[in-house]
Amino acid sequence: MTGLLQHISLPGDEIPWLHEIRTNGKNVFASVGIPTAKNEAWKYTRLRELNADDFVISLPQQNLSAPQAELPFDAYKIYFENGIFNPAMSELPQGIEILPLIEVIMFHPQYRQLINTQLIEKRFPFSALNVAYLNEGIFIHIDSRVEIKKPLALIYHTDTRGQNLLCNIHNLIVVEEASSAKIVEFHYYNGEVKSRYLANIVNEIYIRRNAKLCHYKIQNEAFKAHHLALNYVDVAENGSYNSFCLQKGADVSRNETRVLLKEPKASAEVNGAYIMNGWATIDTTTDIEHLSSCTTSHQLIKGVVGGDAKGVFQGKIHIAPEAIQTEGTQLHKALLLTDTAEVDVKPELEIFADDVKCSHGAASGELDEEQLFYMRSRGISEEDARQLLIAAYLDDAISKIEDEKIAAWIKLWAK
Amino acid sequence: MNKITEIADESGDKYKYGFVTDIEADTIPKGLNADIIRLISAKKGEPEWLLEWRLKAFEFWQGMTEPTWAKLVYDKIDYQDLYYYSAPKQKVAPKSLDEVDKSLLETYDKLGIPLKEQEILAGVVAVDAVFDSVSVATTYRAKLAEKGIIFCSISEAVKEHPDLVRRYLGSVVPYTDNFFACLNSAVFTDGSFVYIPKGIRCPMELSTYFRINAKNTGQFERTLIIADDESYVSYLEGCTAPQRDENQLHAAIVEIVVLKDAEVKYSTVQNWYPGDKDGNGGVYNFVTKRAACRGDNSKISWTQVETGSAVTWKYPSCVLQGNNSVGEFYSVAITNNHQQADTGTKMIHIGRNTSSKIISKGISAGFSNQTYRGLVRVSPGAQNARNYSQCDSLLIGRTCGSHTVPYIENRNKTAKIEHEATTSKISDEQLFYCQQRGIGEEEAVSLIVNGFCKEVMQHLPMEFAIEAAKLINISLEGSVG
Repeated sequence: MTGLLQHISLPGDEIPWLHEIRTNGKNVFASVGIPTAKNEAWKYTRLRELNADDFVISLPQQNLSAPQAELPFDAYKIYFENGIFNPAMSELPQGIEILPLIEVIMFHPQYRQLINTQLIEKRFPFSALNVAYLNEGIFIHIDSRVEIKKPLALIYHTDTRGQNLLCNIHNLIVVEEASSAKIVEFHYYNGEVKSRYLANIVNEIYIRRNAKLCHYKIQNEAFKAHHLALNYVDVAENGSYNSFCLQKGADVSRNETRVLLKEPKASAEVNGAYIMNGWATIDTTTDIEHLSSCTTSHQLIKGVVGGDAKGVFQGKIHIAPEAIQTEGTQLHKALLLTDTAEVDVKPELEIFADDVKCSHGAASGELDEEQLFYMRSRGISEEDARQLLIAAYLDDAISKIEDEKIAAWIKLWAK
Repeated sequence: MNKITEIADESGDKYKYGFVTDIEADTIPKGLNADIIRLISAKKGEPEWLLEWRLKAFEFWQGMTEPTWAKLVYDKIDYQDLYYYSAPKQKVAPKSLDEVDKSLLETYDKLGIPLKEQEILAGVVAVDAVFDSVSVATTYRAKLAEKGIIFCSISEAVKEHPDLVRRYLGSVVPYTDNFFACLNSAVFTDGSFVYIPKGIRCPMELSTYFRINAKNTGQFERTLIIADDESYVSYLEGCTAPQRDENQLHAAIVEIVVLKDAEVKYSTVQNWYPGDKDGNGGVYNFVTKRAACRGDNSKISWTQVETGSAVTWKYPSCVLQGNNSVGEFYSVAITNNHQQADTGTKMIHIGRNTSSKIISKGISAGFSNQTYRGLVRVSPGAQNARNYSQCDSLLIGRTCGSHTVPYIENRNKTAKIEHEATTSKISDEQLFYCQQRGIGEEEAVSLIVNGFCKEVMQHLPMEFAIEAAKLINISLEGSVG
């Protein structure tokens, strides 16, 4: 067994269903192992550091005394500290069911069916690992015909004080018919800068008929950390999923979004931006599956890569034979700031229906010298001019965010 | 014997090259082992170094596994159930065309390859024809030799120009490259060899014609083209095979070396037997094509029209080593019925100011599946590299598939890379417009498809372009309505 797979006893091990899927997860991860460059889905993202054998699965519950994250907008705050849900600190809204996931598994079998066992598959080694430790995480249930104006902010604060922590978080989010909600994820560290940890996050999201979910995320982990997230989104008729992810921190970060547009008129917007320096690798992977007619999806991802960093984008649009009159677009653009920066892109179309409109585009290049010169000739310092151009470059992706306050907050971080 | 028999067109397919030539062939036992390789090498009277190279490749191949990453589904190939050498039987090597077996000449006539020099289309094309495993005749040699151009079969080149062959063989596609290239290196039987000396512009188009005739025979040809400084050559390649129920294997290598200021234009019309409309039979086409632009200001241009084969696995590549070198790839791939194609290109930018352009047009119909798979890689030292890629797909009918998998790896900030891909169908408006003007549906589709491919077709030499346009129409027949 690698350092990531350890024998620990977890609550609920006595429940056969839970025990079985945990064991499955363990077996799948053990058989695949840590993906290498030979694994097509991980071709560009190297995970050597995860071979370390000093992983700690959980740290004793402690109140991290660090200052609480400030959010410049009003939100219901839900705190996780070192990967553990802290209800005492959190401010939970009335009328929305928010429970620790383990409670749902133990006492609400009607919801636990939603936990997708397809995620325990060789294709998703880290979600298999996540399920092997299925325990932490929350369940958010938004009843039908409810509109929640105030965003739900999931704030993940990690400070491992030098220990190599493995946090597995599994959230289950259900937005029932004709409801709408906004979820904000904020991953940050505060304290020991050199904290090494692997944040392994799975969000399973179900959007029912006519419902809508906006999902915004900022990832700013410690620079020695690994952040691997999988968002598995299931959208029903006329439902809509709208997401934006800003990836900024961590040594290796991957935000993978898999959207299944299962019924007619379901739609998805998956946007994102990344900005990085140093030695980081930031990976944005999407897989949008159009499984029904009249579904639409749009993706816009923009990245800025400096230092010795590497930006990775793997995007896929799949159109099933019955998904006629669908539309799928995808655009990825990256800016390289230094001679040692790298960007690897694999936009993929997989189309089995003829009555579709599908396109993808990818471009990469450097800052336009003429634009720089224009600004400098007007008395703007080179550094400021660069910052302005970079901000402008990312702006068209960030401005896709519907909520102005959240957009402004993300813009602030995209520097 | 010695007469051309036409196989009855039972399936109702429109593959006009589906005849078999009944010709006595010299075939060695089935199967693949070191002794077979020694036998092939001995039959060809090869020098020791080449045999050693073949054996090394074979040893390496035994440790390799067949790649499975391509979006292709086909029955497992039994490499021991194939003949690796089949040559039309002749007592002595022909000295001139008059000595070549008449039925062979008739076959080529039938294919529209005017092998006899006097019949050659206005004298603009020189042909090297490869029948099963060996090169049958090369026309126009004398005229080319006057200019110092070498155009012959690779087996002759091994004997007559061993230094050139030894220096360049495997230098672009080493035998370790991939499974099929490695197999080819071990068992390749013939192919064409071209050397264009310094400062020479080849006065005519050079052409190879490949044909698989014998049953259960794998065709493994190897083409090596060397364009010395400031030279130019345009090279054409065409392929056909008889209709057979079982699958035939074709695993070829084309290596091109382009030196300083030289330019090579390589055009292919691939029309191997695609199998019948239920997907029985057809050629498995696994080809490794690669050009190395070694010199500064060198240029390679690949143009391909792929209409045949049951399975195509082919990625003509450009390694842009020289500064200011240019790579181009123009492709039209058409799949119908149960054909599968996984094809594309690789552009490896290494030198400074290198540029590349990819225009790929894919048309899928029937139950076929087609994938564009490409790579654009810019190395850290490739200052000011420029790439533009465009991949368009057209789907005809609801049972086919079209996929695009480009890989783009940029490690230089000064590089400008653009990639675009679209997928669509022939719109009802377009069809309506044509039909309203009295153009039948099938004709309208062919008109629209030809328009869709025009950007690529205009890069083909004229005679080839006419042939290719016809092929496109034939390939799509019956796909509408």
